[in-house]
Amino acid sequence: MDYGIEQRDQEAAVRLRGRLTFNDHAKLRALIGEMKQNKAKRQVLDLSSLEFVDSAGIGMLLIAREEMVAATKELVLRGAVGQVKRVLTVAQIGKIVTIED
Amino acid sequence: MTSPPSILPAQLRGALTGLENARVLVVDDNRINRNLLLALLERGGIHQVEQAEDGNDGLARLEMFNPDLILLDLMMPRLDGFEMCKQLRGDPRWKNLPVLVQSSLNRAEDRARAFAAGATDYVTKPINAVELLARVRIHLHKRALLHDLEQYHSRAERELALARSMQERLLPSPARLTSTEDSLGIAISAHFAPSSELGGDFWGKRRLLDGRLAVYLVDFSGHGVGAALNTFRLHAICQQLAAISDEPAEFLAAVNKRLCGLLPSGQFATMLAGVIDPTAGVFHYASAGATAPMVWAPGDNAPQLGDGAGLPLGLLASIQYDSRSLPLPPGGRLFLYSDAAIEIPLGGDVLDEAGLAAMVARRIGEEDGARFLDGLLDELRATGPIDDDLTALVLTRKR
Repeated sequence: MDYGIEQRDQEAAVRLRGRLTFNDHAKLRALIGEMKQNKAKRQVLDLSSLEFVDSAGIGMLLIAREEMVAATKELVLRGAVGQVKRVLTVAQIGKIVTIED
Repeated sequence: MTSPPSILPAQLRGALTGLENARVLVVDDNRINRNLLLALLERGGIHQVEQAEDGNDGLARLEMFNPDLILLDLMMPRLDGFEMCKQLRGDPRWKNLPVLVQSSLNRAEDRARAFAAGATDYVTKPINAVELLARVRIHLHKRALLHDLEQYHSRAERELALARSMQERLLPSPARLTSTEDSLGIAISAHFAPSSELGGDFWGKRRLLDGRLAVYLVDFSGHGVGAALNTFRLHAICQQLAAISDEPAEFLAAVNKRLCGLLPSGQFATMLAGVIDPTAGVFHYASAGATAPMVWAPGDNAPQLGDGAGLPLGLLASIQYDSRSLPLPPGGRLFLYSDAAIEIPLGGDVLDEAGLAAMVARRIGEEDGARFLDGLLDELRATGPIDDDLTALVLTRKR
């Protein structure tokens, strides 16, 4: 997995690319650090280029959500497709994180 | 013993501490050379030195002395150094023993031949004391590190093997499966394969009153030791809540509530809990983000998929779960599996539930549950790498 951050007025959009799995733990930790640092209240994870997420990857998204709550920021998961969308749907992640198409 | 002589740099003297227990075998046909090396090692702080005067003598003393390093001459009568080295490398016990050749042969071919015979390192005579001791130190140090690593590795292996057998004991034994089949007429075939020594999956079953059977399958996020420790926790919780296992949605909600306080952030479990009710011909179930259960009846040409949607366990204490059901008439079959089965890479996507259902459909007429499962697992393994824990259960109503 790799990512790129784009700062807009009120939100920071982070585009995740590739596969998000257990192996990306350190990288996602670093990303969460960056998301806490920047000023935007709304932190959007753009998942439209993410091809695959496993259960550990979902766990890391949940850690991101918790860290954003602790930093009084909002986390949004946007644009999931394919397997990623199916996994988020089955796990009803929308009940605890804002999900946008 | 006298203190190390001044020819040794202070740094080297320091590095040699800790090597006082090292055992070195000196193999040289020349007594003067042997004494020289002995004195040199002694000055370097290595006191346990054994001498041998040719290759045969050296091999014989290996057994008794069990050295950490050999200083080996090449030109010797009877058995020379090349041959001794070759022979000792043939014994697995001495495969990694450092052999430092010291010889007056200094042509490139001689060196090449010595390395081909299994030498670890090579110095030419006349011996430079500082260099020889430095090399001895390096090889002994490497050997000590390797030894530590091997010890650590074999301890970790033993402990993981023990943990693995404990984890397998969380699962219903074959004897219990047979008794379930005899008393309830429900045959169970099970497969459990962690992707490393330990897994984050487990499953259980419980015979209820009036011929019903409760069954559940759990898949913790991640895999390996951390996920495996969580299975022990959840197993205990399931045992404590066994009394309400006849109400799957209630059972899941109660398990979730207990788990929420225990799991660190980022960890969760998916779980499917259900009850087979033979009298009603129904499988009642509830799901916390588990894979879709599949059922089929004799004569069906494809499985019917249930709904696995639900928030995984351990994320939100107040969550309620939906009660769902699927038909399960006599002769019918229920198939449960962990997500490893549908996350096998296929082209740019993954196999997914639809792909798995198609695989099931291809062998839907197979009456024997174990053969059905074996065939399906073979096809899954042939599809692509399975890099997560895989658990699969086939429950067949025999009557």
